[in-house]
Amino acid sequence: MSLVASLRTDAKRELWFVWYSTVAFYSLYTVVFFVLTRTQPPGHPWLTPEQAVGWFADRHSGLLVGFALIFVLGGFSATSIALITYSIRRMSVSRAYAYSYLILYAIAAIPGFVFICVAMTVGAMRPDRDPVLMHWLYDFGFLSFSGTMGVFLVGSLIWMAAILLDKNGVFPRWFGYLNLCNALTEVVIAPSWIFQRGVLAWNGVIAWWIDVAVFGMYTVVFIYLLRNLIQRDDLGTGPVPALPPGAARRAHPLAKVIAG
Amino acid sequence: MDGSRVSRSGERAIFWTLPAVAVVWIAAFFLFPGFVPPMSPKASAAEVAAFYRDHLSRVRYSMILFNWFCVALIPILMLLVERMRGMAHRTPVLRYCVIGVAGAAPIAFLTSTVFWLIAAFRPDRSPALTQMCNDLAWITFTCGVPFLIALCVFVAVAIAYDDQERPVFPRWVARFNLVIALALVPSCFAGLTLDGAFAWNGFVSFWVKNVAIAVWIVVMAVVLRNAMDRDGIAVGVGA
Repeated sequence: MSLVASLRTDAKRELWFVWYSTVAFYSLYTVVFFVLTRTQPPGHPWLTPEQAVGWFADRHSGLLVGFALIFVLGGFSATSIALITYSIRRMSVSRAYAYSYLILYAIAAIPGFVFICVAMTVGAMRPDRDPVLMHWLYDFGFLSFSGTMGVFLVGSLIWMAAILLDKNGVFPRWFGYLNLCNALTEVVIAPSWIFQRGVLAWNGVIAWWIDVAVFGMYTVVFIYLLRNLIQRDDLGTGPVPALPPGAARRAHPLAKVIAG
Repeated sequence: MDGSRVSRSGERAIFWTLPAVAVVWIAAFFLFPGFVPPMSPKASAAEVAAFYRDHLSRVRYSMILFNWFCVALIPILMLLVERMRGMAHRTPVLRYCVIGVAGAAPIAFLTSTVFWLIAAFRPDRSPALTQMCNDLAWITFTCGVPFLIALCVFVAVAIAYDDQERPVFPRWVARFNLVIALALVPSCFAGLTLDGAFAWNGFVSFWVKNVAIAVWIVVMAVVLRNAMDRDGIAVGVGA
């Protein structure tokens, strides 16, 4: 089925709309943070105020243009949240799980990514600002971004519990446990509020490299699993059927491996 | 989809908070001395500090009003979410999209009032610090529209997918929402310049953006009212 047909005439077109938007949002997010603004991998927490000024000067236009794009399109983060909320609603568990996930992730958007966009934009827009204040904006940006923890911690645990309790077979059980891995990344990031150097600092081997690897893998996996759910979904309330043979043939080989 | 068994009680009361809240918003808008005309991003730190010293009370009272009532948009948006139940959708996923952005959109604005109020809290602070708080407030206020943009697009998609004989909202409302979304886009780039139409006090980033939001609220209130009438909620004053 073509992209246009799945968005125009397919019975599940709302689900396809949010799924394609999710893929587009995460792609944009990756390009903005890793390529345009070069705020990932993050700057060093041990920079002096003068070095922080240099850091802003080094990526002046990238920060302003990149985060402007997030200001335009950041609201589409709601599509993945809505689709995951739907996946929980499709389970045999109480709607309380679905609504908890929705509200946790929806409010997380402000401290989770709007703050870094605002802090870095304010830092870049006046390069001649007092270096001590530039340093503060630098810390504010990175710490709010990596240090917004609780919503993702509790949100992942909610999704995990829903998957493990579910009797409708919405997701494989192992994916429930993968949510626990994502929740643990929010535990090991906590020391980045304390340490300015070492593996636990916000750019450290544990707090950044391992966390980003886990989060990246988790995100790719859940995007595939959500696609798989949409293909299998009969839009009912009971157990979700197995993938129809035709769809299974067309599915990406990796998707089949992940779906087990 | 499951609209028939959902209670509509009390929705009329929420709807009629809108005119009252709108009066407060308009009053606060004109009370804040930094909106008419909008403060220039080119003002020096000393000028910004002087602005807060000279207009302390009006900054505080206007921002306290916004802090109280900007979030009063959320119950109105929930009326919109309830109308979406009547749309010819197979799943609630678009409602979840709207709920997801309905909270964050006014909270972004609420965050900017916090920065404005911090700037005003100690007017004798170092001017550079006051200027930074002022910048944080203005960038959050001007660029903090991603959730409104997404809201307009979600509403447009929801209407486009509502293909039944008598859709909940007329088709033109979808196109209207896309136009408003586009009108909000340029303000996201306000950090790139301190001067001209795209600066935070410029024609596009300040006037087009804020008028677009005001027009959206008025037009959506009218179509919402018509849709509520059809759902049997007598919204009229005499009802």
